[in-house]
Amino acid sequence: MFAKTSDNSSMNLKEVETIVGPSVKVKGDFHCGGNIIVEGEVEGNLICGNMLQIKSGSKITADVTAKEAVIGGEIKGNVKIIGFLEITETAKIFGDIEAGIISIAKGAFFNGNCAMNKESRNGKEGKKAEERRE
Amino acid sequence: MHVYIYDTFLSDKKFARILAKIEARITDLGLNGKIGRLGVTKKIFDLVKDEIKRGAKTIIAVGNDETVEKIVRCMSGSETPLGIIPVGKNNLIAESLGIPAELEACDILSARRVERLGLGVIGDFHFLSKISTNSDNLKLLLDSGYSVELKRSGPIISIVNLPTADIALPEGLCFSPRDGLLRLLIEGREKRNVIFSRKNFESVFAFRKATIKSAKPIIFNNLIKVSGAIEIEAKKNAISVIVGKNRKF
Repeated sequence: MFAKTSDNSSMNLKEVETIVGPSVKVKGDFHCGGNIIVEGEVEGNLICGNMLQIKSGSKITADVTAKEAVIGGEIKGNVKIIGFLEITETAKIFGDIEAGIISIAKGAFFNGNCAMNKESRNGKEGKKAEERRE
Repeated sequence: MHVYIYDTFLSDKKFARILAKIEARITDLGLNGKIGRLGVTKKIFDLVKDEIKRGAKTIIAVGNDETVEKIVRCMSGSETPLGIIPVGKNNLIAESLGIPAELEACDILSARRVERLGLGVIGDFHFLSKISTNSDNLKLLLDSGYSVELKRSGPIISIVNLPTADIALPEGLCFSPRDGLLRLLIEGREKRNVIFSRKNFESVFAFRKATIKSAKPIIFNNLIKVSGAIEIEAKKNAISVIVGKNRKF
């Protein structure tokens, strides 16, 4: 289920702490230290201490912060990722992006500014993410 | 002294033989003690509390999941370990704790591998495994930070402390009754697995404290009636339980 998905992401979440299913809407400040999978709706702030996977069909109206992320759904808000950010072809992002390493698939919609975080890229997390990509 | 608490259904003749075998095995292992039988007139709370006060070495639930949950409600906060001898059907808690049924459970008691586990608390009702209800008219506020709303009506929601085999957890998800958290599980659209009677859950949230609000009264486990707002909380290290080495956490 969380291995290679329909979002064509390379992230493999072996341990998941939170799953926001397609029939659920979360409102407010949503903090989680572990891995998160979002298939439903989130409104407010979304802060993930580890890996975040936003699947195709999900709707996020929130600023998103995570260590690493794969985005395949719709986001209205700013996205800040410390390490590797993968934007798949089903993604729609209306907001600014900041990431250490970024990959945008053909067909993805992105309307905003993009800033690369050099410190994160050269740091431990960035190197780890780059190794995973290779 | 070990105190064995037999549930009411064990007074049925069909259990007489297996109970005699269990009692013989207990004697062989040197674990014999006092037997208390639950009955219509006997209040379990008084029985368990009195035995703990008298210095019981172990309280042993002899019966099924219902027996275990009944005794857990009286033992929260106690240092006295809870042992389990599963008899009859519906023994999913024992299975999760790595305790085999009937005679083999006596060997687990003898090995005395004690784990301190957490409990869930709703109002003043304690539970070891889970509570479930239909989600209609419910609003859940988790850890005071965010709310969870359901976009459709009807799915079963469960608050789980100790996962049992009747719950089909999404792949990659595992948790333990030792982590001081409860899980809110929301049933998915997929059909239930009829063969194994397992429920498929699509949403999972970990929390320490939650408030459930409901305009109409809601009933958990056909037992706990809630109206208005009620808090659910994880109580860490609330009970000592004798577990088997094949426990699922």
